[in-house]
Amino acid sequence: MAKVVVVEVNGLVKQYEDLKAVDGVSFELHDGEVFAFLGPNGAGKTTTVEILECIRTLTGGTARVFGYDVTKREDVKEIKKRIGVLPQDFSALDKLTVKENIDLIGGMYEKKLDTSEVIKMLDLEEKTKTRFENLSGGLKQRVGVAAALVNDPQLVFLDEPTTGLDPKARRDVWQVIENLRKLDKTVFLTTHYMEEAQVLADRIAVINKGKIAAIGSPQELISQYGGLKTLIIRRGGKKLAETLQQKYGNTDLSHDGDVLMKADDVSEMWQALSTLTSLKLDKEIEIQAPTIEDVFLKIVGGRITEEGELK
Amino acid sequence: MMRPLVIFLAVTRNWLRSRSGLFFSIMFPVLLLIVFGAIFSGGGGGGQTTLFVQNLDRSLNGTPTNASSAFVQALNSTKTFAIKDVPADADAKVWARNNLGPLGGNIRIVMISNGFERDLINGTLKVKVGISYNLLNTTYQHLLLQVPGLNDTQKMIYEQGLAQLQSYNGTLPDSRTSLTWASDASDQSAQVIKNIVASVANAFNYRVIGAKSVIEFNEESVTSTSYGAVDYYLPGIISAFIMTNGLIALTSVTSEFKRRGIIKRLSITPLTKLDWIIGNVLSQTLLSLMLTAIMIIVGYIIFRVQAIPDALTIIMIFIGSVMFSGLGMILGGLVKDVEAAVALGNAIAYPMMFLSGTYFPLEIMPSYLQSISRVLPLTYFSDGLRYALIYRYTEGVFTNMAVITVLAVAFILIGAVVTRWKEK
Repeated sequence: MAKVVVVEVNGLVKQYEDLKAVDGVSFELHDGEVFAFLGPNGAGKTTTVEILECIRTLTGGTARVFGYDVTKREDVKEIKKRIGVLPQDFSALDKLTVKENIDLIGGMYEKKLDTSEVIKMLDLEEKTKTRFENLSGGLKQRVGVAAALVNDPQLVFLDEPTTGLDPKARRDVWQVIENLRKLDKTVFLTTHYMEEAQVLADRIAVINKGKIAAIGSPQELISQYGGLKTLIIRRGGKKLAETLQQKYGNTDLSHDGDVLMKADDVSEMWQALSTLTSLKLDKEIEIQAPTIEDVFLKIVGGRITEEGELK
Repeated sequence: MMRPLVIFLAVTRNWLRSRSGLFFSIMFPVLLLIVFGAIFSGGGGGGQTTLFVQNLDRSLNGTPTNASSAFVQALNSTKTFAIKDVPADADAKVWARNNLGPLGGNIRIVMISNGFERDLINGTLKVKVGISYNLLNTTYQHLLLQVPGLNDTQKMIYEQGLAQLQSYNGTLPDSRTSLTWASDASDQSAQVIKNIVASVANAFNYRVIGAKSVIEFNEESVTSTSYGAVDYYLPGIISAFIMTNGLIALTSVTSEFKRRGIIKRLSITPLTKLDWIIGNVLSQTLLSLMLTAIMIIVGYIIFRVQAIPDALTIIMIFIGSVMFSGLGMILGGLVKDVEAAVALGNAIAYPMMFLSGTYFPLEIMPSYLQSISRVLPLTYFSDGLRYALIYRYTEGVFTNMAVITVLAVAFILIGAVVTRWKEK
């Protein structure tokens, strides 16, 4: 069955005086998928998303959401009814409670879910009467997601939903996104966290300097750009590293004394393991598959820091 | 529910739960009313003006003469002055400066000259004899015309008597007693105080020569009800704070919402810019009506104010709130930074507050400042509110209402244009 296209972007350009924030981006978003825009700060993620949310104008190209043109006034009304948004750095009225803030956003729509239903969905029942100013960062993000869902949207934009959160709060938000997938919502996620994109997304678009560098499912990207699997022998030492390098090549010694051997197929990995068995080594062994981080490193030529900067 | 109402409820709730918002929007104006009321409502024997009096008219044993003492007593009886006696042998200006008290103040001195009583008696006698001569002479001229049978002897007796009286008056010294006034040129209230002292001197003068005032000075209020000073400050304070709430509070809240992305979040929904503006204007109007009600209630409890708002007053408040909300929207739309928005709001609000006749009558200002006040929206709002709340002067209310209605529509339209709802 043909995939239903929810978002269709062709040659999208956004120019700010001397800066081209988005430079000819094209992609599609399919119904029910979790799609991630992965890139460092300033890559053009939020600009692209805000054009699709109809709060930023485009300079060139076309963008359609549910078939509606984001540049046409009447179409914009239809788009706004059908999307839910968690903006970057979401904030709400400090003195209002969780329920009142969700009601505020819900009050903007003709068709909306019951607030208590949304609160339950986001597991916020205990905080219903708590003022927004008294919530933790993670709970604030959950309120933001609740507000994004109150109009029962078909498409949900989550712009950097876990930035600045502690690991536990981040996992909580991941769980919320998993629940959205179960509800068959289409999710457009932007993030600079590699692991987040890899764990959550059905498809990932790697974006840098306003251009999409690669697009595909995590597995597709890894198999295409991720490189070799790594056999790691913890504290294997220099002598072992030299032995494996002589026999199989592609072997390094980390500064911790770990021996890292890259293997491009399973048989080579087994041969190396049998060599280790014959040496009767009492060392911890681990086989590591390539990750999206390796993909990103390969495509962009750098890593993204915790703060989202390209290094 | 309609979107503007949802915005109205949310924004109002958020404001009502903000302690600082409540303080500056409601408590601060109330405190100001209480301070103004305490200063200008008088009563309780306080508020007397210090007047230094140096009585140099002394009898041989050094005690003040009866006439000079009576004059000081007359000054005292006005209950306007707290009189401080300056010793006769002191330099009055130096003594007054040294005896102003710990809080200082203005120096106003009345010096009663030596010979005050003597000159008063002589001068009074000369005036009385002169009056008697004029009276008898007028009577004689009248008799000559009305009584034809008056013989020469009778005429001679009258004329001799008149001549003797005139001659006696000529022997009396033409004495004039004097009071000396001293004050600082920078003391703006000195003229008023001096006039009061001069009025007391005139009254004293009339009393001494036995004249009676034939002009009776009656006082009436131009309003149907008798209002106190606080009633007159009330519309000024209310209009000034409706302005600051619109200009400063709304501007800072709008900028804060914008900075934190709350407006951006709302703009992603079907909410329109106009919905947002209407919701905020309604919230400001409610705040203005609450402020007015609380000010009147507090004013009634403490100062017994009698200004009760009618329908016209409420309409004035509504249009004024819309006007200043519009102005606040313009500033909030132009300035993104909260601190800059507040600074800009202050820079506009405070000069307008003092140049619009809100606290000080326009009449005391130089003519060029009066011209400036005529282009300030607050002038028309506070005048209109005063006419509606105090004078019940309908024509004046409608004229000012027309001006602020035009301004309100213009400000709201400009505010709607400059409020950015879509990013570039």
